[in-house]
Amino acid sequence: MTCSEVERVLPELLDGGSNGAFPPDFDAHLKCCPTCSDLVSDLKLIASEARQLAASEEPASRVWVRIAAELRAEGLIRDSAIPDSAIHDSTIREPEFAPARPVVVPVPVPASPRWRWRALWLAPVAAAVLVASAYVISHKPAPQVATQQAPAPAVTSPAPVTPATTPALVPAPAPQQMAKNSAKPKGVSGNGNEIGRVAEAAAEPEPSAEDQQFLSVVSTLGPSTRATYESQLRAVNADIQETQAYVDRNPGDADARQHLMDAYQQKALLYQIALDRIQ
Amino acid sequence: MTDPKHGITEAEAIEQAKQGHEAAFEVLYHLHKRRVYSLCLRMVSNPAQAEDLAQEAFLQLFRKISTFRGESAFSTWLHRMTVNVVLMQLRKKGLPVVSLEETLESEDEAPRKEFGTKDLKLTGSVDRLQLQRAIDRLPPGYKTVFVLHDVEGFEHNEIAQMVGCSIGNSKSQLHKARLKLREYLKFMRAEKAKTG
Repeated sequence: MTCSEVERVLPELLDGGSNGAFPPDFDAHLKCCPTCSDLVSDLKLIASEARQLAASEEPASRVWVRIAAELRAEGLIRDSAIPDSAIHDSTIREPEFAPARPVVVPVPVPASPRWRWRALWLAPVAAAVLVASAYVISHKPAPQVATQQAPAPAVTSPAPVTPATTPALVPAPAPQQMAKNSAKPKGVSGNGNEIGRVAEAAAEPEPSAEDQQFLSVVSTLGPSTRATYESQLRAVNADIQETQAYVDRNPGDADARQHLMDAYQQKALLYQIALDRIQ
Repeated sequence: MTDPKHGITEAEAIEQAKQGHEAAFEVLYHLHKRRVYSLCLRMVSNPAQAEDLAQEAFLQLFRKISTFRGESAFSTWLHRMTVNVVLMQLRKKGLPVVSLEETLESEDEAPRKEFGTKDLKLTGSVDRLQLQRAIDRLPPGYKTVFVLHDVEGFEHNEIAQMVGCSIGNSKSQLHKARLKLREYLKFMRAEKAKTG
């Protein structure tokens, strides 16, 4: 077999045409031709190393927040979180992961007028978050030179942010200041500009007054709903903190700024969704 | 597959998701998010776009979850849906998915096998980071087939059906993609050796 013939049959053979075994004349050629032998070895190595790349990256936590928000908006989430005060028959509880069985869903009683009135502040807060974030992000000074030093984002793997591992609530100032202030977590060094490093170094942030008030209002919908909102709020606050720190170090990174905007939008959406449920 | 946090199986989560339980959706998301996102990222090489595509793939899946009857593996269903979402996005942007023209490229452009030259052999030392960068440099058609076959494990008949080409074309594109990657990787190693 010649080198040209080897190259011709290689695509078929490399993909297991004969269960990984090569024809005898092919093997014989490889034994006496280091060039072809190296080629075959290299191509097999590339194929096997490529498989390691599958499922090697983790999406940001905001992806789930967006998905959940969309599912709620489309009515695909028909959660079991019914206000405790609204359940007429106290013996009926919709379990979280019980086997499928008929469940009687009592008619939910709307929140009392007092709570509805208190919850109305959520709407302007949600709007203010969006406006403030748009203002800050669009008014970031344009860099003279691209400062992004991180490797291609595809290769970074930010620490996974899950409800079980996210830090406590990020301090969020009054709505008009929310996007302007950037909460610098303790212990974050000035070096390093990868989101993963920032996430690892971030100390537990303190909950903001707005977030605490938000959660106290959401509590009227029941403990499990509160827990859901709390975990989503934690996730989105962690995302904001993480991305803000990255943007501060890399002001020229337009993608990061967009991510920060998206994260604020998610937070505003959370507030809005809660408002819609309470009203 | 069991979610360690909630202690429920994927099958249980699917049934609960059909009833609209948010936590069940979340379980399914966390079980498959890495595979879906990684696939999107490999195909578009842009984290923001990859997030959008992953989000769309999951949303399409969850909208149709009531129709899932378990005839095939859930992950296979999700995987194919993800590929369709990505390919649709590439087509919308007018980017070639698999181009027949690439099989007719000129001799000057086709990766050459270098006879008789002393190449830096790759065996035993493929840097994952460099491999990722090399994949990002591949032309769209080569990248699609390479990612689907070597990274994600689809067979050529599946790839041919998904991207609308022949099985022979898929095999040819894959081989050329691997040859190109070999050249890129050797170049990167040579550059690295120069700079020290």
